Amino acid sequence: MLQRIWAVMQKEFIQTIRARRTLIILLLLPIIQLFLFGYAINMNIEHVPMAVADQSLDAASHAYVDALVTSGFFDVAIYVPDQARAMAAIDAGQAKAAVIIPPDFGEQVERGTAQALFLVDGADLFTALSAYNAASTIAQAHATEIVMERVQRAGLITGNAENLMPLDGRVRILYNPNLDDLWFLIPGLVAMLLQTQTIALTASSVVRERETGTIEQILVTPIRPTELMLGKIAPHLLIAIINMLTIIGAGVFWFGVPFQGNFWLFCWLSFMYAFSGLGLGLLVSTVSQNQKQSQQLIATLLMIAVVLCGFIFPRYTMPWTIRLVGNLFPLTYFMPIARGIITKGLGMHYFWEEVAALAVYVVVIVFVAARAFRQQLD
Amino acid sequence: MGDNISKSLKRIGALVRKESTQVIRDRRTLVLTLVTPIMMLFLFAYAVTLTVDHLPMAVADMSMDTRSQAFIDALTVSGFFDVAMHVQNETEVIQAIDEGKVRVGVVIPPDFAAQVERGEAQALIIIDGSDSFTVQSGYSAAIAIAQSQSIELLMEKAARLGAAGLGTLPVESPPIETATRVLYNPNMDGMVFAVPAIAAMLLQFVAINLTAMSVVREYEWGTIEQLLITPIRPIELMIAKIVPNIVVTVVDTALIVLTGIYWFGVPFRGDPWLFIWLSLLFVVSGLGLGLLISTITRSQNEAQQIAFVLLLLAVLLTGFIYPMEPMPAGVRFVGNLIPLTYFNRIVRGVFTKGIGLTFLWQDVVVLAIYGLVVIVGAAMMFRKRLD
Repeated sequence: MLQRIWAVMQKEFIQTIRARRTLIILLLLPIIQLFLFGYAINMNIEHVPMAVADQSLDAASHAYVDALVTSGFFDVAIYVPDQARAMAAIDAGQAKAAVIIPPDFGEQVERGTAQALFLVDGADLFTALSAYNAASTIAQAHATEIVMERVQRAGLITGNAENLMPLDGRVRILYNPNLDDLWFLIPGLVAMLLQTQTIALTASSVVRERETGTIEQILVTPIRPTELMLGKIAPHLLIAIINMLTIIGAGVFWFGVPFQGNFWLFCWLSFMYAFSGLGLGLLVSTVSQNQKQSQQLIATLLMIAVVLCGFIFPRYTMPWTIRLVGNLFPLTYFMPIARGIITKGLGMHYFWEEVAALAVYVVVIVFVAARAFRQQLD
Repeated sequence: MGDNISKSLKRIGALVRKESTQVIRDRRTLVLTLVTPIMMLFLFAYAVTLTVDHLPMAVADMSMDTRSQAFIDALTVSGFFDVAMHVQNETEVIQAIDEGKVRVGVVIPPDFAAQVERGEAQALIIIDGSDSFTVQSGYSAAIAIAQSQSIELLMEKAARLGAAGLGTLPVESPPIETATRVLYNPNMDGMVFAVPAIAAMLLQFVAINLTAMSVVREYEWGTIEQLLITPIRPIELMIAKIVPNIVVTVVDTALIVLTGIYWFGVPFRGDPWLFIWLSLLFVVSGLGLGLLISTITRSQNEAQQIAFVLLLLAVLLTGFIYPMEPMPAGVRFVGNLIPLTYFNRIVRGVFTKGIGLTFLWQDVVVLAIYGLVVIVGAAMMFRKRLD
């Protein structure tokens, strides 16, 4: 039996190496992606272009606009006379936010009735979110400053203005204190690539044999379906592991992302995880008649997996039905494992549930795939 | 001249018939192409979140006095945080975050009330930094709430000490009230952002996938020989490969957009006809891009890998999720190579903002040139490979 598996493996390895261009693409693409995303994704949006309609032009309004600009979140892109023009500037895309300060702002601040209007471009998800949050925070900080100044002026409380705040809320961010985007990204990218490549390669290698008719040649040999399957997945497993190592290597040594947890634990769990992709790929291959179908099916599966697995959008905010659909994909279980080990530096006992779920998943999917595969060949 | 064109049209017509038959015969692919975008729209529209609220929070209140209670109340009343568990100290808070039971923790030291009185109270808020969305929302919410609590306390204190010195300052309200209004989407409704963006992304996905294998498959199957003995020209072949797929993608577009408007209730503010024409332009450029992939790759496998990567790039680099402005020039350049970049702006403009060509003409022109370049490029690559 081992001999037969070995024979298929040899054949598959030779085929993989012969398709030189495909092999190079397979090995290079992950790195290219990592570099692109590494430099592309920026969650902390700063310097949002802002239109300013200052109808007051006094000290108080200047102080307010200054507070917005010195925060680094907003840059004054254009000065406009009124709200209508500010909105036109956002329509035209010249500004993503606008602040409208009514006439007599200084006096109103003195009376405590000042109102500034802040407009945010709501068509762009992240900009709207960040600008909204930043504007509220800055406005509040500015208001606080004015109150403190006044309290101090009144001589009610003496001492340094900084010490006046009765309550100091300190925020500490665990695991990623500087909010480095790559720290978020690397575990997700590794998890995603391991899945994408294993599914796609396995599916296409089986479907291709069927499409080109070479499957007949294999069937006349004494090999059994399960052996054929094991032999076929070997080179793909190897490629997946190499890609995982290159991504982590580039992440750690080039981008300086710390690998907090146990590297070997991660390797073993990724190895197990890779089998889930191989099983899924095989399953896809049994239901597709040609490569175009298998490609579409895989692309659909992967798209859904990427959105629902918690890599970009957190899972705990999704409705439970959607979460249930997410549970159908191994990526969903591997995401917390990858984050747990790479970013948080945790050990097995923190995510044993995910590991157990993934293990069960792998066993079930490989079993089902092998059965479907066998039935199809018979 | 006219004779030439009519001959050319005739050849294209014949090939369009062949391609259409192929598309219709491959029943499974056709069904997949028509059903999956709608399915994905439903899944994604419900999955995509914009504002993360009700973050599960662990509370370590070592004070248990009215001040600490008030602070925790302020955190929960905001709607951003829910108390998920009570623990003893900071270590246990971190433990709970490690285990993933909570995303946020608040630690209030002993003697909080007295410290507040003396003006030296410090509350610690700990946030799970492994999830970017959580951090984004949790961080600014926590700071804002702590600050507003602080102002309240300060005002209260000032009032107690005798508001006389404060002049006309009303102690119950801050001196500047900032009203923030979100244009086009005043309620920050997630669907309003998500549906048009997802629609655009799905169209890109369908378009590239439909043609990415169409030419390379003919090579692998050997049917290319049959095509080559016909008088068809490369450019005519490319056009014929695109035409039946346009029909499929237009049906897809209609399904997605109508579901978005009628099921999800997303307002369509712009000119529907303008939108239809521009979608058509976009779809053609996407199909052309797929075709280009198909002519430069040597196997379906390779075409598939490239199509995947392109889609992933399209999701992350075209402004669909992450805005393009903060990206470095090199990365933006890569994003600009994908038609979705231009169409994202168009969709947002026409669908969400309700603006017209006067604001969008640049993107439209680029998209038109793009479509032309990829289709002609595909034809040229095809010819080169034949020689």
